[in-house]
Amino acid sequence: MKTQSSTTSKLLHRVLLNGEEIIVSEDEPLLTQLERAGIQIEYQCREGFCSSCSLKLLRGNVAYPVEPMAWVQSGYLLACCAIVKSDIEIAFFVE
Amino acid sequence: MSYSTFNRKRFDSLKEPMFFGENVNVARYDQQKHPIFEKLIEKQLSFFWRPEEVDLSTDRKDFQKLEQHEQHIFLSNLKYQTLLDSIQGRSPNVALLPIVSLPELETWIETWSFSETIHSRSYTHIIRNIVNDPSVIFDDITVNAEITKRADSVSKWYDDLIELVNLYNTLGLGTHLVPGKGEVTVSMPILKRALYLTLVSVNVLEAIRFYVSFACSFSFAERTLMEGNAKIIRLIARDEALHLSGTQHIINLMNSGKDDPEMADIAQACEKEVYQIFMEAAEQEKEWASYLFKDGTMIGLNAEILSQYVEYITNIRMQAIGLDPVFPTKQNPIPWINAWLVSDNVQVAPQEAEISSYLVGQIDNDLDDSDFDDFDL
Ligand code: FES
Ligand SMILES: [Fe+2]
Ligand SMILES: [Fe+2]
Repeated sequence: MKTQSSTTSKLLHRVLLNGEEIIVSEDEPLLTQLERAGIQIEYQCREGFCSSCSLKLLRGNVAYPVEPMAWVQSGYLLACCAIVKSDIEIAFFVE
Repeated sequence: MSYSTFNRKRFDSLKEPMFFGENVNVARYDQQKHPIFEKLIEKQLSFFWRPEEVDLSTDRKDFQKLEQHEQHIFLSNLKYQTLLDSIQGRSPNVALLPIVSLPELETWIETWSFSETIHSRSYTHIIRNIVNDPSVIFDDITVNAEITKRADSVSKWYDDLIELVNLYNTLGLGTHLVPGKGEVTVSMPILKRALYLTLVSVNVLEAIRFYVSFACSFSFAERTLMEGNAKIIRLIARDEALHLSGTQHIINLMNSGKDDPEMADIAQACEKEVYQIFMEAAEQEKEWASYLFKDGTMIGLNAEILSQYVEYITNIRMQAIGLDPVFPTKQNPIPWINAWLVSDNVQVAPQEAEISSYLVGQIDNDLDDSDFDDFDL
Protein backbone atom coordinates (compact mmCIF):
# COMPACT_ATOMS: atom_id res chain seq x y z
CA MET A 1 0.00 0.00 0.00
CA LYS A 2 1.39 3.38 -1.00
CA THR A 3 0.92 5.97 1.69
CA GLN A 4 2.79 9.19 2.30
CA SER A 5 4.89 8.83 -0.83
CA SER A 6 1.83 9.88 -2.81
CA THR A 7 2.50 13.62 -2.41
CA THR A 8 5.99 13.34 -3.81
CA SER A 9 5.35 10.78 -6.52
CA LYS A 10 5.53 11.47 -10.24
CA LEU A 11 3.06 14.06 -11.43
CA LEU A 12 1.28 11.96 -14.03
CA HIS A 13 -1.14 9.16 -13.21
CA ARG A 14 -3.26 6.72 -15.11
CA VAL A 15 -7.02 6.69 -14.68
CA LEU A 16 -8.85 3.53 -15.65
CA LEU A 17 -12.55 4.03 -16.41
CA ASN A 18 -14.72 1.44 -18.13
CA GLY A 19 -11.65 -0.14 -19.71
CA GLU A 20 -10.46 3.20 -21.03
CA GLU A 21 -7.19 4.75 -19.85
CA ILE A 22 -6.64 8.46 -19.42
CA ILE A 23 -3.46 10.21 -18.27
CA VAL A 24 -3.99 12.93 -15.69
CA SER A 25 -1.71 15.32 -13.85
CA GLU A 26 -1.80 16.62 -10.29
CA ASP A 27 -2.15 20.19 -11.52
CA GLU A 28 -5.92 20.19 -11.86
CA PRO A 29 -8.91 18.35 -10.43
CA LEU A 30 -9.93 15.11 -12.09
CA LEU A 31 -13.18 16.50 -13.54
CA THR A 32 -11.65 19.03 -15.92
CA GLN A 33 -9.11 16.51 -17.14
CA LEU A 34 -11.75 13.86 -17.83
CA GLU A 35 -13.85 16.41 -19.66
CA ARG A 36 -10.87 17.36 -21.80
CA ALA A 37 -10.54 13.69 -22.65
CA GLY A 38 -14.11 13.82 -23.93
CA ILE A 39 -15.70 11.99 -21.02
CA GLN A 40 -19.03 13.28 -19.82
CA ILE A 41 -19.21 13.57 -16.03
CA GLU A 42 -22.18 14.81 -14.04
CA TYR A 43 -21.56 18.12 -12.26
CA GLN A 44 -23.27 21.16 -10.88
CA CYS A 45 -21.34 23.34 -8.44
CA ARG A 46 -17.80 22.38 -9.46
CA GLU A 47 -16.65 23.39 -6.01
CA GLY A 48 -17.35 20.42 -3.82
CA PHE A 49 -20.74 20.99 -2.23
CA CYS A 50 -23.41 19.39 -4.42
CA SER A 51 -22.05 15.80 -4.65
CA SER A 52 -23.21 15.43 -8.29
CA CYS A 53 -19.73 14.58 -9.54
CA SER A 54 -19.33 11.66 -7.16
CA LEU A 55 -17.60 8.68 -8.78
CA LYS A 56 -16.76 5.26 -7.46
CA LEU A 57 -13.06 5.00 -6.55
CA LEU A 58 -12.21 1.35 -7.00
CA ARG A 59 -8.45 1.58 -6.48
CA GLY A 60 -5.84 4.24 -5.84
CA ASN A 61 -5.62 7.54 -3.98
CA VAL A 62 -6.95 11.02 -4.43
CA ALA A 63 -6.53 14.10 -2.25
CA TYR A 64 -8.54 17.25 -1.61
CA PRO A 65 -6.60 20.51 -1.26
CA VAL A 66 -9.66 21.95 0.47
CA GLU A 67 -12.05 19.71 2.37
CA PRO A 68 -15.18 19.42 0.21
CA MET A 69 -18.48 20.41 1.80
CA ALA A 70 -20.36 17.50 0.28
CA TRP A 71 -20.49 14.19 2.10
CA VAL A 72 -18.02 11.86 0.39
CA GLN A 73 -19.15 8.24 0.74
CA SER A 74 -16.35 5.87 1.56
CA GLY A 75 -15.06 4.34 -1.66
CA TYR A 76 -16.11 7.40 -3.71
CA LEU A 77 -14.45 10.59 -4.85
CA LEU A 78 -15.68 14.02 -5.88
CA ALA A 79 -14.30 14.60 -9.37
CA CYS A 80 -14.60 18.40 -9.32
CA CYS A 81 -12.13 18.85 -6.50
CA ALA A 82 -10.16 15.61 -6.24
CA ILE A 83 -6.49 15.67 -7.19
CA VAL A 84 -5.36 12.27 -8.39
CA LYS A 85 -2.38 11.06 -6.35
CA SER A 86 -1.68 7.64 -7.82
CA ASP A 87 -2.89 5.47 -10.65
CA ILE A 88 -6.59 5.00 -10.00
CA GLU A 89 -9.52 2.98 -11.23
CA ILE A 90 -12.94 4.63 -11.18
CA ALA A 91 -16.52 3.83 -12.22
CA PHE A 92 -19.74 5.79 -12.67
CA PHE A 93 -22.06 3.60 -10.65
CA VAL A 94 -21.71 0.58 -8.43
CA GLU A 95 -22.62 -2.40 -10.54
CA MET B 1 -42.19 16.65 26.89
CA SER B 2 -43.36 20.12 25.90
CA TYR B 3 -41.24 22.44 23.81
CA SER B 4 -39.31 25.17 25.56
CA THR B 5 -38.19 28.30 23.70
CA PHE B 6 -35.31 28.72 26.13
CA ASN B 7 -34.38 25.49 27.79
CA ARG B 8 -33.10 26.25 31.31
CA LYS B 9 -31.38 22.92 31.82
CA ARG B 10 -27.59 22.82 31.83
CA PHE B 11 -26.16 20.43 29.30
CA ASP B 12 -23.31 20.13 26.84
CA SER B 13 -24.81 20.89 23.44
CA LEU B 14 -21.80 19.24 21.78
CA LYS B 15 -23.05 15.92 23.15
CA GLU B 16 -26.64 16.25 21.97
CA PRO B 17 -27.94 14.34 18.94
CA MET B 18 -29.18 16.34 15.92
CA PHE B 19 -32.81 15.67 16.84
CA PHE B 20 -34.88 14.58 19.85
CA GLY B 21 -32.33 15.61 22.45
CA GLU B 22 -32.61 18.77 24.53
CA ASN B 23 -34.36 21.81 23.05
CA VAL B 24 -31.73 24.32 22.00
CA ASN B 25 -31.13 27.20 24.41
CA VAL B 26 -28.22 29.52 23.59
CA ALA B 27 -27.83 30.23 19.88
CA ARG B 28 -24.06 29.98 19.74
CA TYR B 29 -21.93 29.18 16.74
CA ASP B 30 -18.41 29.41 18.14
CA GLN B 31 -18.44 25.64 18.59
CA GLN B 32 -20.30 23.05 16.64
CA LYS B 33 -20.93 19.35 16.99
CA HIS B 34 -21.32 19.16 13.21
CA PRO B 35 -19.39 22.04 11.59
CA ILE B 36 -20.95 21.24 8.20
CA PHE B 37 -24.15 23.03 9.17
CA GLU B 38 -22.24 26.19 10.02
CA LYS B 39 -20.55 25.97 6.61
CA LEU B 40 -23.90 25.53 4.88
CA ILE B 41 -25.26 28.61 6.64
CA GLU B 42 -22.28 30.71 5.57
CA LYS B 43 -22.53 29.49 2.01
CA GLN B 44 -26.29 30.08 1.83
CA LEU B 45 -25.83 33.62 3.16
CA SER B 46 -23.18 34.28 0.52
CA PHE B 47 -25.70 33.19 -2.14
CA PHE B 48 -28.29 35.80 -1.19
CA TRP B 49 -30.14 37.21 -4.19
CA ARG B 50 -33.37 39.05 -4.96
CA PRO B 51 -35.74 38.06 -7.76
CA GLU B 52 -36.37 41.68 -8.75
CA GLU B 53 -32.74 41.97 -9.80
CA VAL B 54 -33.48 39.72 -12.76
CA ASP B 55 -34.97 41.48 -15.76
CA LEU B 56 -37.89 39.57 -17.26
CA SER B 57 -39.05 42.03 -19.90
CA THR B 58 -38.27 39.80 -22.90
CA ASP B 59 -39.89 36.77 -21.26
CA ARG B 60 -43.32 38.32 -21.63
CA LYS B 61 -42.87 38.61 -25.39
CA ASP B 62 -41.36 35.16 -25.58
CA PHE B 63 -44.28 33.68 -23.66
CA GLN B 64 -46.85 35.19 -25.98
CA LYS B 65 -45.06 33.67 -28.96
CA LEU B 66 -45.03 30.17 -27.48
CA GLU B 67 -47.35 27.61 -28.97
CA GLN B 68 -50.33 26.49 -26.88
CA HIS B 69 -48.76 23.21 -25.79
CA GLU B 70 -45.50 24.99 -24.95
CA GLN B 71 -47.39 27.44 -22.74
CA HIS B 72 -48.98 24.44 -21.03
CA ILE B 73 -45.54 22.95 -20.37
CA PHE B 74 -44.12 26.22 -19.12
CA LEU B 75 -47.03 27.10 -16.85
CA SER B 76 -47.55 23.61 -15.46
CA ASN B 77 -43.87 23.41 -14.63
CA LEU B 78 -44.02 26.80 -12.95
CA LYS B 79 -47.07 25.75 -10.93
CA TYR B 80 -45.27 22.63 -9.80
CA GLN B 81 -42.23 24.67 -8.76
CA THR B 82 -44.52 27.08 -6.90
CA LEU B 83 -46.15 24.17 -5.07
CA LEU B 84 -42.82 22.61 -4.07
CA ASP B 85 -41.39 25.86 -2.74
CA SER B 86 -44.63 26.69 -0.93
CA ILE B 87 -44.07 23.46 0.97
CA GLN B 88 -40.34 23.98 1.47
CA GLY B 89 -40.72 27.58 2.63
CA ARG B 90 -42.50 26.47 5.77
CA SER B 91 -42.22 22.75 6.39
CA PRO B 92 -38.60 22.40 7.53
CA ASN B 93 -39.40 25.05 10.15
CA VAL B 94 -42.71 23.61 11.29
CA ALA B 95 -41.59 19.98 11.29
CA LEU B 96 -37.97 20.18 12.37
CA LEU B 97 -37.52 23.18 14.66
CA PRO B 98 -39.55 21.70 17.54
CA ILE B 99 -37.29 18.63 17.64
CA VAL B 100 -33.84 19.94 16.71
CA SER B 101 -31.14 19.88 19.39
CA LEU B 102 -28.10 21.59 17.92
CA PRO B 103 -27.84 25.38 17.50
CA GLU B 104 -25.97 25.15 14.19
CA LEU B 105 -28.53 22.74 12.75
CA GLU B 106 -31.43 24.85 14.05
CA THR B 107 -30.05 27.88 12.24
CA TRP B 108 -29.31 25.89 9.11
CA ILE B 109 -32.98 24.82 9.01
CA GLU B 110 -34.12 28.43 9.37
CA THR B 111 -31.65 29.70 6.79
CA TRP B 112 -32.61 26.92 4.40
CA SER B 113 -36.32 27.59 4.77
CA PHE B 114 -35.81 31.32 4.39
CA SER B 115 -34.06 30.85 1.08
CA GLU B 116 -37.12 28.91 -0.11
CA THR B 117 -39.26 31.96 0.54
CA ILE B 118 -37.03 33.84 -1.93
CA HIS B 119 -37.79 31.11 -4.46
CA SER B 120 -41.50 31.51 -3.86
CA ARG B 121 -41.24 35.26 -4.25
CA SER B 122 -39.45 34.79 -7.55
CA TYR B 123 -42.36 32.76 -8.95
CA THR B 124 -44.64 35.69 -8.19
CA HIS B 125 -42.16 37.93 -10.00
CA ILE B 126 -42.16 35.61 -13.02
CA ILE B 127 -45.93 35.07 -13.13
CA ARG B 128 -46.67 38.77 -12.77
CA ASN B 129 -44.45 39.40 -15.75
CA ILE B 130 -45.91 36.87 -18.12
CA VAL B 131 -49.67 37.01 -17.44
CA ASN B 132 -52.11 39.78 -16.67
CA ASP B 133 -53.95 37.96 -13.91
CA PRO B 134 -51.62 35.93 -11.64
CA SER B 135 -54.63 34.49 -9.78
CA VAL B 136 -55.51 32.31 -12.75
CA ILE B 137 -52.18 30.53 -12.26
CA PHE B 138 -52.01 30.50 -8.47
CA ASP B 139 -55.60 29.39 -8.00
CA ASP B 140 -55.13 26.40 -10.26
CA ILE B 141 -52.42 25.01 -7.96
CA THR B 142 -54.98 24.01 -5.35
CA VAL B 143 -57.55 22.58 -7.76
CA ASN B 144 -55.67 21.05 -10.70
CA ALA B 145 -55.77 17.28 -10.09
CA GLU B 146 -52.33 16.63 -11.57
CA ILE B 147 -50.80 19.24 -9.27
CA THR B 148 -52.67 18.31 -6.10
CA LYS B 149 -51.68 14.68 -6.60
CA ARG B 150 -48.08 15.82 -6.34
CA ALA B 151 -48.87 17.96 -3.30
CA ASP B 152 -50.21 14.91 -1.43
CA SER B 153 -47.17 12.79 -2.08
CA VAL B 154 -44.70 15.44 -0.96
CA SER B 155 -46.56 16.77 2.08
CA LYS B 156 -47.76 13.51 3.61
CA TRP B 157 -44.43 12.63 5.27
CA TYR B 158 -44.07 16.09 6.74
CA ASP B 159 -47.68 16.02 7.97
CA ASP B 160 -47.27 12.61 9.64
CA LEU B 161 -44.16 13.77 11.46
CA ILE B 162 -45.76 17.05 12.52
CA GLU B 163 -48.77 15.24 13.93
CA LEU B 164 -46.64 12.79 15.91
CA VAL B 165 -44.41 15.58 17.25
CA ASN B 166 -47.47 17.59 18.29
CA LEU B 167 -48.73 14.62 20.29
CA TYR B 168 -45.29 14.08 21.75
CA ASN B 169 -45.02 17.71 22.83
CA THR B 170 -48.47 17.88 24.39
CA LEU B 171 -49.09 14.37 25.72
CA GLY B 172 -45.63 12.80 25.76
CA LEU B 173 -44.69 9.23 24.95
CA GLY B 174 -47.38 6.56 25.21
CA THR B 175 -50.59 5.51 23.52
CA HIS B 176 -53.08 8.32 23.18
CA LEU B 177 -56.71 8.40 22.15
CA VAL B 178 -56.89 10.99 19.39
CA PRO B 179 -60.35 12.20 18.29
CA GLY B 180 -61.03 11.10 14.74
CA LYS B 181 -57.95 8.87 14.70
CA GLY B 182 -58.36 6.37 17.49
CA GLU B 183 -55.33 5.15 19.39
CA VAL B 184 -52.00 6.58 18.32
CA THR B 185 -48.78 5.30 19.83
CA VAL B 186 -45.97 7.76 20.26
CA SER B 187 -42.61 6.17 21.00
CA MET B 188 -39.08 7.34 20.33
CA PRO B 189 -38.50 4.75 17.58
CA ILE B 190 -41.81 5.73 15.93
CA LEU B 191 -40.88 9.43 16.07
CA LYS B 192 -37.39 8.80 14.74
CA ARG B 193 -38.70 6.63 11.95
CA ALA B 194 -41.15 9.36 10.90
CA LEU B 195 -38.29 11.86 10.97
CA TYR B 196 -35.99 9.67 8.89
CA LEU B 197 -38.61 9.00 6.21
CA THR B 198 -39.52 12.68 6.11
CA LEU B 199 -35.89 13.61 5.49
CA VAL B 200 -35.70 11.06 2.69
CA SER B 201 -38.82 12.48 1.09
CA VAL B 202 -37.43 16.01 1.42
CA ASN B 203 -34.25 14.89 -0.29
CA VAL B 204 -36.34 13.36 -3.06
CA LEU B 205 -38.26 16.63 -3.37
CA GLU B 206 -35.21 18.86 -3.62
CA ALA B 207 -32.71 16.57 -5.32
CA ILE B 208 -34.99 14.82 -7.83
CA ARG B 209 -38.38 16.52 -8.30
CA PHE B 210 -36.85 19.97 -8.51
CA TYR B 211 -34.22 18.87 -10.98
CA VAL B 212 -36.88 17.47 -13.29
CA SER B 213 -38.53 20.89 -13.21
CA PHE B 214 -35.16 22.59 -13.85
CA ALA B 215 -34.76 20.47 -16.98
CA CYS B 216 -38.06 21.88 -18.29
CA SER B 217 -37.15 25.48 -17.44
CA PHE B 218 -33.76 25.20 -19.14
CA SER B 219 -35.12 23.46 -22.22
CA PHE B 220 -36.81 26.76 -23.12
CA ALA B 221 -33.61 28.68 -22.56
CA GLU B 222 -31.73 26.20 -24.75
CA ARG B 223 -33.88 27.61 -27.55
CA THR B 224 -33.12 31.17 -26.32
CA LEU B 225 -36.66 31.48 -24.95
CA MET B 226 -37.71 32.57 -21.45
CA GLU B 227 -34.12 33.44 -20.58
CA GLY B 228 -35.00 35.70 -17.66
CA ASN B 229 -36.84 32.80 -16.16
CA ALA B 230 -33.79 30.59 -16.69
CA LYS B 231 -31.61 33.13 -14.91
CA ILE B 232 -33.85 32.92 -11.86
CA ILE B 233 -33.99 29.13 -12.03
CA ARG B 234 -30.19 29.01 -12.09
CA LEU B 235 -30.10 30.94 -8.83
CA ILE B 236 -32.72 28.63 -7.38
CA ALA B 237 -30.77 25.59 -8.57
CA ARG B 238 -27.62 26.84 -6.85
CA ASP B 239 -29.55 27.10 -3.58
CA GLU B 240 -31.11 23.68 -4.06
CA ALA B 241 -27.70 22.10 -4.55
CA LEU B 242 -26.85 23.37 -1.08
CA HIS B 243 -30.13 22.21 0.43
CA LEU B 244 -29.81 18.71 -0.97
CA SER B 245 -26.28 18.57 0.36
CA GLY B 246 -27.57 19.51 3.82
CA THR B 247 -30.17 16.76 3.77
CA GLN B 248 -27.66 14.23 2.44
CA HIS B 249 -25.43 15.11 5.38
CA ILE B 250 -28.23 14.67 7.92
CA ILE B 251 -29.24 11.33 6.39
CA ASN B 252 -25.66 10.06 6.09
CA LEU B 253 -24.89 11.14 9.66
CA MET B 254 -27.96 9.23 10.80
CA ASN B 255 -26.99 6.15 8.77
CA SER B 256 -23.52 6.20 10.27
CA GLY B 257 -24.81 6.05 13.85
CA LYS B 258 -22.15 8.61 14.78
CA ASP B 259 -24.73 11.16 15.78
CA ASP B 260 -27.34 8.93 17.42
CA PRO B 261 -26.71 5.17 17.51
CA GLU B 262 -30.44 4.36 17.65
CA MET B 263 -30.98 6.32 14.46
CA ALA B 264 -28.65 3.96 12.57
CA ASP B 265 -30.81 0.97 13.55
CA ILE B 266 -33.94 2.82 12.49
CA ALA B 267 -32.36 3.77 9.17
CA GLN B 268 -31.44 0.13 8.63
CA ALA B 269 -34.92 -1.06 9.55
CA CYS B 270 -36.68 1.20 7.07
CA GLU B 271 -34.31 0.74 4.17
CA LYS B 272 -36.98 -0.99 2.11
CA GLU B 273 -39.35 1.95 2.54
CA VAL B 274 -36.58 4.34 1.58
CA TYR B 275 -36.10 2.49 -1.70
CA GLN B 276 -39.86 2.65 -2.18
CA ILE B 277 -39.96 6.41 -1.62
CA PHE B 278 -37.31 6.92 -4.29
CA MET B 279 -38.93 4.55 -6.76
CA GLU B 280 -42.44 5.90 -6.25
CA ALA B 281 -41.25 9.46 -6.67
CA ALA B 282 -39.50 8.52 -9.90
CA GLU B 283 -42.71 6.91 -11.17
CA GLN B 284 -44.70 10.01 -10.23
CA GLU B 285 -42.23 12.24 -12.01
CA LYS B 286 -42.52 10.11 -15.15
CA GLU B 287 -46.32 10.40 -15.00
CA TRP B 288 -45.87 14.13 -14.61
CA ALA B 289 -43.65 14.15 -17.69
CA SER B 290 -46.42 12.55 -19.76
CA TYR B 291 -48.86 15.15 -18.47
CA LEU B 292 -46.51 17.98 -19.41
CA PHE B 293 -46.01 16.73 -22.94
CA LYS B 294 -49.54 15.41 -23.51
CA ASP B 295 -50.34 17.97 -26.23
CA GLY B 296 -46.98 18.05 -27.93
CA THR B 297 -43.27 17.93 -27.33
CA MET B 298 -40.51 20.49 -27.64
CA ILE B 299 -37.22 20.55 -29.47
CA GLY B 300 -34.78 18.71 -27.25
CA LEU B 301 -37.26 17.48 -24.67
CA ASN B 302 -40.16 15.06 -24.59
CA ALA B 303 -41.75 12.71 -22.05
CA GLU B 304 -39.37 9.89 -22.86
CA ILE B 305 -36.17 11.90 -22.56
CA LEU B 306 -37.41 13.55 -19.38
CA SER B 307 -38.29 10.14 -17.93
CA GLN B 308 -34.77 8.94 -18.67
CA TYR B 309 -33.44 11.95 -16.84
CA VAL B 310 -35.71 11.08 -13.90
CA GLU B 311 -34.09 7.63 -13.75
CA TYR B 312 -30.60 8.98 -14.13
CA ILE B 313 -30.86 11.69 -11.48
CA THR B 314 -32.63 9.29 -9.10
CA ASN B 315 -29.68 6.89 -9.42
CA ILE B 316 -27.24 9.71 -8.62
CA ARG B 317 -29.18 10.82 -5.55
CA MET B 318 -29.66 7.29 -4.25
CA GLN B 319 -25.96 6.62 -4.47
CA ALA B 320 -25.26 9.83 -2.53
CA ILE B 321 -27.00 8.44 0.56
CA GLY B 322 -25.51 4.99 0.31
CA LEU B 323 -28.28 3.24 -1.65
CA ASP B 324 -27.81 1.16 -4.76
CA PRO B 325 -28.99 2.82 -7.94
CA VAL B 326 -32.08 0.98 -9.18
CA PHE B 327 -32.64 2.29 -12.70
CA PRO B 328 -30.98 1.20 -15.94
CA THR B 329 -30.26 4.75 -17.18
CA LYS B 330 -26.60 5.33 -16.32
CA GLN B 331 -25.84 8.23 -18.71
CA ASN B 332 -27.34 11.70 -18.60
CA PRO B 333 -29.77 11.93 -21.56
CA ILE B 334 -29.69 15.75 -21.39
CA PRO B 335 -26.05 16.59 -20.66
CA TRP B 336 -26.67 20.23 -21.65
CA ILE B 337 -28.51 20.72 -18.35
CA ASN B 338 -25.25 20.88 -16.40
CA ALA B 339 -24.03 23.97 -18.23
CA TRP B 340 -27.22 25.65 -17.00
CA LEU B 341 -27.00 24.24 -13.50
CA VAL B 342 -23.40 25.23 -12.91
CA SER B 343 -22.92 28.08 -10.47
CA ASP B 344 -21.30 31.15 -11.94
CA ASN B 345 -19.10 31.91 -9.02
CA VAL B 346 -16.60 29.13 -9.34
CA GLN B 347 -13.64 30.46 -7.44
CA VAL B 348 -11.98 27.41 -6.01
CA ALA B 349 -8.47 26.89 -7.27
CA PRO B 350 -7.46 23.75 -5.40
CA GLN B 351 -3.90 23.69 -6.73
CA GLU B 352 -3.25 27.03 -5.02
CA ALA B 353 -4.03 25.71 -1.59
CA GLU B 354 -1.20 24.67 0.64
CA ILE B 355 -0.04 21.14 0.30
CA SER B 356 -0.16 20.64 4.07
CA SER B 357 -3.93 20.99 4.01
CA TYR B 358 -4.38 18.04 1.69
CA LEU B 359 -6.91 15.53 2.86
CA VAL B 360 -6.12 12.17 1.54
CA GLY B 361 -8.80 9.68 0.57
CA GLN B 362 -7.38 6.20 0.20
CA ILE B 363 -8.59 2.90 -1.02
CA ASP B 364 -6.65 -0.10 0.16
CA ASN B 365 -5.68 -1.86 -3.02
CA ASP B 366 -3.49 0.13 -5.28
CA LEU B 367 -3.47 -0.35 -9.01
CA ASP B 368 -1.30 -3.10 -10.12
CA ASP B 369 0.93 -2.32 -13.06
CA SER B 370 -0.54 -5.31 -14.86
CA ASP B 371 -3.79 -3.37 -15.14
CA PHE B 372 -2.03 -1.05 -17.49
CA ASP B 373 0.17 -3.52 -19.31
CA ASP B 374 -0.13 -2.04 -22.75
CA PHE B 375 0.08 1.48 -21.52
CA ASP B 376 3.20 3.50 -22.15
CA LEU B 377 3.93 6.43 -19.89
S1 FES C 1 -19.72 19.30 -9.01
FE1 FES C 1 -20.59 19.75 -7.10
S2 FES C 1 -19.45 18.50 -5.72
FE2 FES C 1 -18.45 18.26 -7.63
FE1 LIG D 1 -36.51 26.04 -3.27
FE1 LIG E 1 -34.69 23.79 -1.33
